[in-house]
Amino acid sequence: MSDSIIGAGPKRIDGQRKVTGAAPYAADHHPDNMAYGYGVFSTIARGTVTGLDLDAARQSPGVIDIFHHDHFPELHRSPSSMAQGNKVEETRLPFEDNQVHYEGQFVALVVADTFENARAAARKVGVSYQRDDNAIANLDQGVKAHGTQKGQGNHERGDAAGNFDGAAHSIDVTYTTPVENHNPMEMHASVASWEGDRLTIFESSQGVVQQRGALSKIFGIPQEHIRVESPFIGSGFGSKLWMWPHAVAVSAAAREIGRPVQLVVPRQQMFTTTGHRPETRQRMRLATDERGRLVSLRHESINTTSFTDQYVETCGSVTKSLYSCPNLLVSHETTRVNRGTPTSMRAPGAAPGLFALESAIDEMALAAGVDPLEFRMNNYATRDESQDLDFSSNHIREATEKAAEKFGWQDRNPEVGSMRDGHEIIGYGMAACNWEAIKRECEARVSLRADGTAYVTCATQDIGTGTYTIIAQTVSELTGLPLEKITVRLGDTSYPKGPISGGSWTTATTLPAIAAATREAIKELKGYATGEKGDFAGVDSDSDSLTFENGQLTHDGQSVDYVDVLKGQKLASADGHAHTQGADDKYSYRSFGAHFVEVRWDPGISNLRVSRVVSAIDVGRVINSMTARNQVEGAIVMGLGMAHFEATEYDARNGRPVNNNYAEYVVPVHADQPPEVDVILLDYPDLAFNEFGARGIGEIGITGMAAAVANAVYHATGKRIRDLPIFKEKLMENVPEVQSA
Amino acid sequence: MSDHHNNEGLGVETFDARSPSRRRFLKTMGASSLAAATAPAWAQIAQAGQQQKEPVEPRDDGAPAEGEQQIQLTVNGVAHTLNVKPNAVLLDVLRDRLMLTGTKKGCDQGQCGACTLLVNDTAINSCLSLAVSHDGDEITTIEGLSQGDELHPVQVAFWAHDAYQCGYCTSGQIMSAVAILNDDNIGSDDASVREAMSGNICRCGAYKNILAAVQDARGKMEGAS
Amino acid sequence: MREFDYARADSPRQAVSTHGRSEQAAYLAGGTTLLDLVKIDIMRPDQVVDINRLDLNQIETLNDGRTRIGALVTNTALARDDRIKNEYAVLSEALLSGATTQLRNKATTAGNVMQRVRCPYFRDGVSSCNKREPGSGCAAIKGHNRSVHAVLGTSEQCIATHPSDMCVAMAAIGATVTVEGPDGQRDIGFLDFHLLPGDTPEREHALKPGELITHVTLDAPLENSRSGYLKLRDRASYQFALASSAVIVTLEGDTITNARVALGGVGTKPWRALEAEKALKGQKIGEASFTHAAGIAFKGATPYAHNAFKIPLGQQAIVRNLTTLTAQEDRRTS
Ligand SMILES: Cc1cc2nc3c(=O)[nH]c(=O)nc-3n(C[C@H](O)[C@H](O)[C@H](O)COP(=O)(O)OP(=O)(O)OC[C@H]3O[C@@H](n4cnc5c(N)ncnc54)[C@H](O)[C@@H]3O)c2cc1C
Ligand code: SF4
Ligand code: FES
Ligand code: FES
Repeated sequence: MSDSIIGAGPKRIDGQRKVTGAAPYAADHHPDNMAYGYGVFSTIARGTVTGLDLDAARQSPGVIDIFHHDHFPELHRSPSSMAQGNKVEETRLPFEDNQVHYEGQFVALVVADTFENARAAARKVGVSYQRDDNAIANLDQGVKAHGTQKGQGNHERGDAAGNFDGAAHSIDVTYTTPVENHNPMEMHASVASWEGDRLTIFESSQGVVQQRGALSKIFGIPQEHIRVESPFIGSGFGSKLWMWPHAVAVSAAAREIGRPVQLVVPRQQMFTTTGHRPETRQRMRLATDERGRLVSLRHESINTTSFTDQYVETCGSVTKSLYSCPNLLVSHETTRVNRGTPTSMRAPGAAPGLFALESAIDEMALAAGVDPLEFRMNNYATRDESQDLDFSSNHIREATEKAAEKFGWQDRNPEVGSMRDGHEIIGYGMAACNWEAIKRECEARVSLRADGTAYVTCATQDIGTGTYTIIAQTVSELTGLPLEKITVRLGDTSYPKGPISGGSWTTATTLPAIAAATREAIKELKGYATGEKGDFAGVDSDSDSLTFENGQLTHDGQSVDYVDVLKGQKLASADGHAHTQGADDKYSYRSFGAHFVEVRWDPGISNLRVSRVVSAIDVGRVINSMTARNQVEGAIVMGLGMAHFEATEYDARNGRPVNNNYAEYVVPVHADQPPEVDVILLDYPDLAFNEFGARGIGEIGITGMAAAVANAVYHATGKRIRDLPIFKEKLMENVPEVQSA
Repeated sequence: MSDHHNNEGLGVETFDARSPSRRRFLKTMGASSLAAATAPAWAQIAQAGQQQKEPVEPRDDGAPAEGEQQIQLTVNGVAHTLNVKPNAVLLDVLRDRLMLTGTKKGCDQGQCGACTLLVNDTAINSCLSLAVSHDGDEITTIEGLSQGDELHPVQVAFWAHDAYQCGYCTSGQIMSAVAILNDDNIGSDDASVREAMSGNICRCGAYKNILAAVQDARGKMEGAS
Repeated sequence: MREFDYARADSPRQAVSTHGRSEQAAYLAGGTTLLDLVKIDIMRPDQVVDINRLDLNQIETLNDGRTRIGALVTNTALARDDRIKNEYAVLSEALLSGATTQLRNKATTAGNVMQRVRCPYFRDGVSSCNKREPGSGCAAIKGHNRSVHAVLGTSEQCIATHPSDMCVAMAAIGATVTVEGPDGQRDIGFLDFHLLPGDTPEREHALKPGELITHVTLDAPLENSRSGYLKLRDRASYQFALASSAVIVTLEGDTITNARVALGGVGTKPWRALEAEKALKGQKIGEASFTHAAGIAFKGATPYAHNAFKIPLGQQAIVRNLTTLTAQEDRRTS
């Protein structure tokens, strides 16, 4: 299989469109007669809207209509079921009533003829509120005010508490992580148009099928009357998995005014009304025996959720199975705050969870007097003890060793602050990474066409991960057609049902369906070839002696091009449709890896830099080496942001977001890119999982990154940062105490 | 990677062999009726970006209405006479009026770089620019970089190096890169390029590949330092 | 952005007369502050006077050795001007540390002087903010005040930093702001240009209504001086300073004969640390004298709940900048 296109790194088939600006994103659509919406958003975190002064806005040039809780069509809530295909994260509809649950909630929508007119008018809308001064601004306040609710994903085995006291070594530490925002480059956007009771909506969506299902429930119209299109999306990282209120608002507005309407969620409200990674507090209690073997592990987390919905950040999801430990407890709880509903952000649960777990493992190793690398090698699980299943394929030891060697872990002087270079103190840290591998059901259609091309459709999305390309690679592999001859269409509900682009499951879910559909098409082709008028009339179409390779049907030494088979019978195409199923439960399917990070701390100017990262990742078979590597490299950058800068801050007095913009919510820029980032892809096919052996690669790279950085920071500075992000003041000496007011 | 300067792979990404008349048909039909058509509605947009295939027609808005001002913008070599309101922003005028949607909006406040384009050969944030104050200016957008089917060396390099993921920051990154490569005052070392490109956020984090692409394009570009 | 009238001026006179003394009119230079704030409804001009076509684009050396910069010289052009790079390295470095390449291409010298605070409570349009709505209070003092709030020059009414990097260098160099207004032309000393918030944080600068900045003239460079700008922040580029220092020194052997120190990110205006300068003069170079002077610069500083770290950080910005400058042989100017 060495010259197979699977595993090679062809450049993306949609690349030309991206580099020429031709790739159409949601707000690039301008259907005829389109109007523009602009939102008015609440400026209190809790209370009621008591009045709207619309006079000035109505008289503003170009205004068509202004929607709000007293002027909005009666709609229905979506049951929000992923299984039914209609999940939304925020179940409350926009303008449902006059209640305000968070700052930055839609309170009105102005629609005008141009974008500038809509925005100008929105500024003129006056809103009066009855503010409820008991707004809950953060996790601590929530817990204090009304305690916690039980979440899901909990797990218990053995007796963790009983084996903690009296263990040879133990730690009891608490980690906290702040709200983070996905901040995809493309702001959420929808363009909705109606024709009768048929709705077409261009959406920046990671899940067109789910959005269609939700819109169908909300508007009470059949799914067949709704078309959701998202051929290109400016990324989402989870924030675009489920539809948010703006899409409902704009769809309703378009129906009411009888014109297509475009609505883009402004960057400020991307921090409020399109989800976020919630704040977490995680208590970790670990204990080992004399030799540093884990005997007790408890991971108890609380995360913030909204007053309208329950969202659980399953911080302990990885903790259940990464290490071997007979006595283990994982529990998740939530507490309500006046913020919008949180949602999955790249590696939900695992990203904050592994910050806590992998920091705690580092602390535990130190407490037990064992090198952190060795500690992990001694404690990595060999089977999934939480499910009592074998792993389908687990190469975490090799990943850890390979990365350690390439990184030069053996040169690490374990003494804190001992490695110096000029002004700088160097720290080395490591952490494991881990993510669940999931495969869902999927449909796809493949046509082998008489013009020598293949045409492939599936209602999944390419969110920047390279899905277009790997699907084309798959078809190419099975048909021998070059990539240039393969057209792939995604992100449109008129295609066969595909999965949401999330959970790193797109690859493992879609490729088997694409392959099955391709085989069906080949089968149909063989049927034509062996039929009455066919070139191989009379041959058994199922016979092994009839082969299809490189576009040629061959039997008994005689070959015919498939195009000629079709043309000979005046047929347009041979088509295949497939519906493949999700993964079985014979194994525990997970991906593994390890990050090694070098930081440089310059205490003279309190400057912290991540200067080097080596990561080895075991995600099964790599389908496209170029796009796969890019995914991990990008996740490392995001993980570095999480470690170092990213935090959405809220005013503790009233829950008001304070840095909700792209200048003050600090994400890594070009200059923060570590000069050396080295990603090793192990590439062991996981054939128990699917025929391609691929497990998916989008999220694993961010897991463990923040811990690896924090562990390196500890090694450099002796400061254990248990509260993200690692702002410089947490590492500085001599910061004056301030009496808090 | 070989030097692809033309439309290799285009067969994948242009939509069937739609004739120009078919395209015009799609465009005038509007999206709502397209829902029922066989081609995906978004196919109509392809042409907006494919400036090299079907150049944007010069636009003349006639006499300005009350509250509007008439301006001339030369965009990618095509002169347009447009009537705009003073509060119309250059980025929105390009995207919503001239349908040049290759230039993206990522923040609308000068904070992300997605809207970067060249005004009289200088890279600026078009979201913080009033259209009226650009009367008479020469504007180059991503759609104007390629010469016919031949991609600009920076575009070629971005494609070859996978210097993007979602592609949303890409127009801005490329426009910044073009400006930087043409600027003798900006060093050619990696650190200088990273610093100079720091106004172009890539949330996908493709920084490593973007740098590789910029450095690869250097030298393949006429006059690049 | 609400609606406004727009006029393009062809001469400073015309600009001034179109503007009039109206509080509701605004000059438009690069627009990177103005349009940002108009978009979020914090500034609501009803008349915008576009000054971009004025002939104020020159950088000239005057007979007395000073350097006169036209109001419309962009931050990019100023930073890369040979005279500036050679004789006022601190200014070139400060400019290049600010904002982003694209923004610097638009941002002008006068606009940069006039840029407004980044305080989130000022920008959100609803919190109590004495600068935006005099008498309404200051949400920042007991609110979130980590990155864009000051420890020097604060008052009970306002604690926002002046966010400019360029101005910090100019404060160290010494400069004069020339303005043209309804009442004619006048000069304002750079250190008098930006006002401390005191009880009137809504008054940010010494311009009278309608006055147009036409030039900023830098004092002649200190002979045999070396200078540099050091900016400290979270990420490595494109962020307002958490603390920064502009330092100019002259040496005789190991002795500091003259020093200028100004600070950014920590003061409610571009902060000239005159006492620290005095403390440096006549001292031997070395960590002890640098640390001592840095301590003096922050004497009386007021920390708030989240920004207390700026006090040690600002001192580090001074010490490291001095250390680097005095260790170098090749940064001598003229
Ligand atoms: C995302 C972002 C990041 C930034 N980061 C930094 C940074 O790190 N460091 C830094 O120093 N700056 C930073 N800035 C600020 C930037 O430097 C200023 O916005 C810029 O210098 C303003 O210049 P301008 O010409 O665009 O001004 P404009 O926006 O045109 O004008 C600003 C103000 O000055 C008035 N004005 C303009 N010209 C004159 C004149 N000649 N006479 C009288 N009044 C006049 C205008 O009416 C307006 O009120 C940043 C800005 C943004 C948007
Ligand atoms: S610090 Fe100044 S600008 Fe900020 S809220 Fe207080 S008064 Fe307003
Ligand atoms: S859209 Fe202009 S900088 Fe973000
Ligand atoms: S490619 Fe997605 S933001 Fe850069």
